[in-house]
Amino acid sequence: MEVRTARVPLLGPDRLRRVQAFVVAALLALAMWQLATFISDGWVPSLAEIGTAFAEDVTTPLTYQEIWITFRRILIAFAGATTVGIALGAAMGLSRRVTAFFRPIVVLGLAVPDPVYIIVAILVLGTEESSGLIAMILALIPFVVNIVVGGVRSRDRGLDEMSAVYRLGRRRYLTDVVARQVAPALLAATRTCFAFSWKLVVLVEALTQPRGIGAQIYFAFRLLRPDHMISLALIFILVLRAVEALVFTPLERRVLAWMR
Amino acid sequence: MMREGTVTPVGTHDYIRVEGLRVSYDRENTAIEDLDMVVGKGEFVAVLGPSGCGKSTLLHVMAGLLRPEAGRVDIGGRPVGGPADGEAPRIGYVFQDHRLLPWRTVGQNLRTVLRSAGVPAEQIEERIDRYLGMLHIERFRNTWPMRLSGGQRQRVSIARALAIHPAVVLMDEPFSTLDEVTARLMRQQLAQLWEESSQTIVFVTHSIREALFLADRIYILTRGPARVFDVVTVMLDRPRGYEDLRLTELEGQIVDRVMEVWGYGAVDAAPDREG
Repeated sequence: MEVRTARVPLLGPDRLRRVQAFVVAALLALAMWQLATFISDGWVPSLAEIGTAFAEDVTTPLTYQEIWITFRRILIAFAGATTVGIALGAAMGLSRRVTAFFRPIVVLGLAVPDPVYIIVAILVLGTEESSGLIAMILALIPFVVNIVVGGVRSRDRGLDEMSAVYRLGRRRYLTDVVARQVAPALLAATRTCFAFSWKLVVLVEALTQPRGIGAQIYFAFRLLRPDHMISLALIFILVLRAVEALVFTPLERRVLAWMR
Repeated sequence: MMREGTVTPVGTHDYIRVEGLRVSYDRENTAIEDLDMVVGKGEFVAVLGPSGCGKSTLLHVMAGLLRPEAGRVDIGGRPVGGPADGEAPRIGYVFQDHRLLPWRTVGQNLRTVLRSAGVPAEQIEERIDRYLGMLHIERFRNTWPMRLSGGQRQRVSIARALAIHPAVVLMDEPFSTLDEVTARLMRQQLAQLWEESSQTIVFVTHSIREALFLADRIYILTRGPARVFDVVTVMLDRPRGYEDLRLTELEGQIVDRVMEVWGYGAVDAAPDREG
């Protein structure tokens, strides 16, 4: 009897198409970068120079200390902004009175440019690390509040009635009914907050701090080493991508499992 | 069938008492006007009325979700809408849509309300098994609600309402979104469940045949604002057949009577009544 074995492709057609698209886009971007190197008269570092700087930076132990310092600051700003933002956003979403009080402040907070927070914090609190962190937290809170308020307001009012009839209690209502409905918005808020934290921390470190990835990028700029500026940014982008893959994606998969 | 001119409750016949109820939205649109109603303990009462007449509003008030402008609702001698302490009457509610928590499995949905109802932890699993078994959905205990059919979700919703051993189960057109065959099956199962449990049920519907098939008594409401137009006692033995000719005959009699108050005549007559 003839036994036939079916060959299962490693990549399905959809996935293969996505990989192809990514490879084409990446090659195109690298080619354009190299072109920019040629026409900028050497001011834009070549791919080879960035590669050398990258290898140098990842093999320097000091780089990891700088990464940790920046990462710690991001975590503090992220934790502060999400805690206050989620609590305030939930309160505003549930109460018209709270909304009436805080809405103008949040709108104002969204309109203020980020460097203004940092400059005002430096003027008021000095160049301590804490002043930069406070500035970051204040700049991030309105974004988180805005997303959470939208999520809480668009909740299913039918489930509110069900909770009232079955007397779920305030704590169970908030955790089992409201929080789970707002979960997609909360995840979006935490992701936005995390991404903005990185952008802001670089600015804060460049302006006020002697340590951290932002300070090192600024240091490389002053020494006219754009290859190291880009390599340091790339290293930290890889760290943030790892956090995304190891923390946010599994968390999202777990929290939104019921939707699949 | 027996008609009652006035309602004169005796004994356990006034387990639920609705008196002089008036409900308005925005103080302008009156949904319910001077409505009286009594339901006996263990009785299956249907509230029948045309779409939009205020039936669901009545259930909302009975569940304490809406405060009336005037009048009161007592269940088991205690007012609805008072402090939600341990003594307050416990309500099971089967909504038109299932209103299950989609991020909780079927078992977890029941567990959530059982915990809130103060059911001792050691009894919770047994209760979940019993009521899912009664509704023939025990195999879906660990399934997400969104993976169930409409009929299965409504069964879970009924199991949830019964499992907390409520003082009364309120049902707001629970089968109106289901296909006819599933709805008939569900009505049959509900009638059986009620006979086994003797649970007090107030069932809102706009289907005359559904009301006749399920209920002991039917409160027929006027087109909004809702008032009691008539109270009908269904004197048919159980189990009843949905295609029973006697139901068809009774249905015809009720249609003849409500035609004037539900039909176009009621709309034309509305200004005179209000004036």
